[in-house]
Amino acid sequence: MITLVHFQIVSAALFSIGLYGVMARRSAILILMSIELMLNAVNINLVAVASFLDPDRFAGIIITIFVITVAAAEVGLALAIVLRLFRNRATINVDNMDLMKW
Amino acid sequence: MTENLHLLMPELFLAILAVVVLVADLFLPDDRKIYLPWLAVLGLIGLIVLSLNLLWNTDLMLYGGLISLDNFSLFFKCVFLVLGIIVILASMDFVSRWLRSPGEYYSIVLFSILGMILMVEAQELLTAYIAIELMAFGFYVLVAFGRNNRKSNEAGLKYILVGAFSSAIFLYGLSLVYAYTAVTHFDAIEASLSSVLANTDQIGPSLWVGMALMLAGLGFKVAAVPFHMWAPDTYEGAPIPVTAFLSVGSKIASLAFMLRLFSEAFLPAIDQWQIIVAVISALTMTVGNVVAMVQSNYKRLLAYSSIGHVGFMLMGIAALSSIAIDGLLLYMIGYAVTTMAVFTALTAFFNMTGREDISDLGGLADTHSYFAAAIAVALFSLAGLPFFAGFTMKFYLFAAVGTEGFLWLAGLAIFNSFISLYYYLKMIREMYVKPTPDSVRLVMSQSGVSNGISKPTKLITCLSVVLTLSIIYLGVYPLHLLKAIQAATLSIW
Repeated sequence: MITLVHFQIVSAALFSIGLYGVMARRSAILILMSIELMLNAVNINLVAVASFLDPDRFAGIIITIFVITVAAAEVGLALAIVLRLFRNRATINVDNMDLMKW
Repeated sequence: MTENLHLLMPELFLAILAVVVLVADLFLPDDRKIYLPWLAVLGLIGLIVLSLNLLWNTDLMLYGGLISLDNFSLFFKCVFLVLGIIVILASMDFVSRWLRSPGEYYSIVLFSILGMILMVEAQELLTAYIAIELMAFGFYVLVAFGRNNRKSNEAGLKYILVGAFSSAIFLYGLSLVYAYTAVTHFDAIEASLSSVLANTDQIGPSLWVGMALMLAGLGFKVAAVPFHMWAPDTYEGAPIPVTAFLSVGSKIASLAFMLRLFSEAFLPAIDQWQIIVAVISALTMTVGNVVAMVQSNYKRLLAYSSIGHVGFMLMGIAALSSIAIDGLLLYMIGYAVTTMAVFTALTAFFNMTGREDISDLGGLADTHSYFAAAIAVALFSLAGLPFFAGFTMKFYLFAAVGTEGFLWLAGLAIFNSFISLYYYLKMIREMYVKPTPDSVRLVMSQSGVSNGISKPTKLITCLSVVLTLSIIYLGVYPLHLLKAIQAATLSIW
């Protein structure tokens, strides 16, 4: 029997993997992909909670649809900035983003 | 559902105005593009009149409790619309000199303002999230608007990565709170929390983690320590009017949303989060003010100073009570007026010279005494000296926090205000005591030649004078503002 807790564990694991990716990756694109993982962890959590605890109003499922949409827009915007940066600097490694310190 | 649609007219018209500005940019020839900001400003003035007429003293929940139109919303709606006018007027010279595509710039400013307004009105977590993202998306683009400026690109990348990361953290917190309560409306969350806390005095760990993650996500948005690392870089790299907009608009909107969230949804669990907010506030004000002392770039110095001010404002949320909320709202307005005054004068200076270092401000009192005086008044106000808005706002907030049992926090805040006086005076000494550096003198004398640098226009001078006078007005006679603030406070407390 799969319960809500199983979904929440998967979600927490996925969120932690994404969090690790944001901390450990050095390429802006890979950081964005890790953020997507974190958002998908949120989606799993929301959908599972909506179907287990809130089956009449299913607010969680509606939130999920919005999160997917907003995340797509966010990635589009971020890629535009990354592209602009690559044209000017020829790198997207975040360790090289050191024009400004302290 | 639709019978009250007319009450949302200000928001709808603001969205239409933003689209009109964007489309008008396509059809206007280059020499007429100067009309775009005036169109936006006229629209915003119209919206203020409309909002005040339409929404005065309403207290309604629209759309099954998604949006609340009360005095708190109306107060912040007017604040953000006025802020929009000031930002657009202050940007006009800058945009025509340093940036391309003015239509997109002004239209994105308007969309960000729409996001801020909806954020304060939201009564439900999804609505709030969408509004936060609407505001943040605008800022991501604005920060990276200097397209071929490497610093601006870098600032944009840092901001969007951290912003997306913080949204993910906020959302995970939201999903945990939803998992615990199975509702998303603020009043329903409050009811659910009080029924849980009626039986036991402990909340479950998943709710605790959820609230902490939401606090962390919002902490990133307002740049509270330890989530502040992005702020100085982003502020330094962004075009200077955008830095002003970012340090006023995004902070006030996020703090107002936090105030509503914590005073309406999470109020029953106040024992759990109050001390955490107090500690974050103490850390924020200390780190912000201490690190600001060693800065050499004025945008970066003001970035750290604004982190310090966020620390002061978070005290108001920690010491939640009706006088603390009054103090917090007054502080927000005083901070907004003062910060806009500093940045308007600095924008004028940047337009003249293209320099960003504090040492380049040397001798400004001799060459442009108006702007030097405006910056000096605004910095004294930020430091909290009497006769300026800064004194009134600090006095109210610190006194309120002290009476609500956070005397140690208020004491720390006063100590930090002293620290802040040091680096503000450093800037003032540069302007009034030091001579003008030769390189700056050279740039000023070449104004008007090909490099886009020229004398300040009448517009930005007038704006600077008006803002400086309003700092003094708010410092001497804040009574009218206080009445409006008390009406706003009453509707959430």
